[in-house]
Amino acid sequence: MEFPTEIIGDKAYIRVTSDLDTELAGEALRSAFNQMYEQGKRTIILDLSGAQIVNSYGIGKVLSCYQKLKAEQGVLMVKPLDGFVKETFELLMLDKLLPVDE
Amino acid sequence: MTPYRPSILVADNDEASRDDLAVFFSEKGWDCNVVSDAQQFDKELNTEAEYDLVIADPDMPGLDLTTLIMDVFRRKPSQALIVVGSSADTNNDMRFIHSGITDVITKPVDFSLIERCIEQAVRLRDQDERERVSARFIVSERTEIKCTCRELAQVQALALPILGRLVESGLLTSYEGLKIRLAIQEALLNAMEHGNLELDSRWKEEICEDGVDRFSRVRKERLADPTYADRIIRFKSFFDGYRLEITIQDEGEGFLASESFVQDVGENLSCFGRGMTLMNDAVDEVRYANGGSEVTLVKVLRKSGGQ
Repeated sequence: MEFPTEIIGDKAYIRVTSDLDTELAGEALRSAFNQMYEQGKRTIILDLSGAQIVNSYGIGKVLSCYQKLKAEQGVLMVKPLDGFVKETFELLMLDKLLPVDE
Repeated sequence: MTPYRPSILVADNDEASRDDLAVFFSEKGWDCNVVSDAQQFDKELNTEAEYDLVIADPDMPGLDLTTLIMDVFRRKPSQALIVVGSSADTNNDMRFIHSGITDVITKPVDFSLIERCIEQAVRLRDQDERERVSARFIVSERTEIKCTCRELAQVQALALPILGRLVESGLLTSYEGLKIRLAIQEALLNAMEHGNLELDSRWKEEICEDGVDRFSRVRKERLADPTYADRIIRFKSFFDGYRLEITIQDEGEGFLASESFVQDVGENLSCFGRGMTLMNDAVDEVRYANGGSEVTLVKVLRKSGGQ
C-alpha cells in the first residue's frame, strides 16, 4: 500500500486513500511522510478524505508525524475533515492541535 | 414473473462511448441514465436514485478518481462501480485505491464483460436484500471466535457479521455501526499488543535509527516468536434482540484500567493512550474482568428498527 504525495510550492500533501487503522496503512503513512520530510518539506498536509475510520493506532502515527515536524518548527495540517473521522478528531481534541488547510 | 430490469448510470464525457453503452443497455431492455460531465454526475449521485451499477470514465474533466470511488460507496454502498478509462494509467491509478470497486476496464469496452459485471451486481444486491429482511427477525445470535495473535495480525481485523445485519435492519445506524467497529478494533488491538505480546505503548515514541519506532520493531519480533504469537485471543458476541455484548479476552497479565485511561485527551500529545476514550464513546458500557485481561463492550439497541 502506498499513499500518493504531491508537492505544491512549500507544501507537501499526502493523500490517505484507505482507513488508517492497520499496520499496513500506518506504514504507508510513515513512508509517505518520511519521503516528504527527507525532501525538506516542513509543512505537510494530510488529506484524510479517503479514510472512513482512523483508530488509535492511526492517530498514533499521525501524532508521530506531528512531533517530528514540531521538533523542526514545522507544521502538520489536515484538509477539512468530515464524517466519522471528523468526530474522532474532535473527540480526541486533535482538531485543536492540527490546523486545517482550507 | 417479469424479469428484473437492472438500472445503470453511465458518466462519460465522450459522446460516442456514452452512446454505445446506452444503446447496448437499451437493447438489453435495461434502464440506463447518462451524464456527460462531473457536475451532472455529482448531482445525480446526490439524488434519491440508486443504481445497480455505476460506470464512470475517470478521465472526465473535473473528476477525481479516489473521491469518486469514496462518494459512490459512501452515498449508496450497494451500488457497484466500474471504472472505464481510455488511458493506460487507469490500471496504475488503481494501485493506490483500496476499495470495493467491481472492475477496471480500458476502452474500447468489452460489452460481454460489462454484462457479466451487471449480472453479478444484481445477484449481490438480491443477497443483500434477503439478509436485510431476515435481520429484522433476529431473536438472538451468538458468535465465538478463537484465534492466535499471529492469525489476528494476518487478517488485521475480525469480521462481525451481526454488526452489518443490525445496521441493515435499522437497529443500529451506520454511524453507530462504525463506532462499534472502531471500539472492537481498539479492544482487539489492546488484547493482542498489550495483553498477549506484552508491548509497552511508550515504545511508540522511541524511534530507531532506521526511522522505525521500537514498538513496531518489537511487535514484529514477537509475532515471529511462538511464545508470544501463539497466545490466544477469545472473542464472543451475544445479541439478545436488545443488547449487543462483545467480550474480548487475552492471555496476558491484565492491567489497571483506571491507570491507563487518559482523562484529559486534549493535553495528551503522545502517540498512545486514546483507545479507551474511543471505546468508551462508542458503547454504553465498558467492563473489565480477570484483572483487565477481559473486556466487555455493551451496546443497548433501540427496541425496534429505526424507532
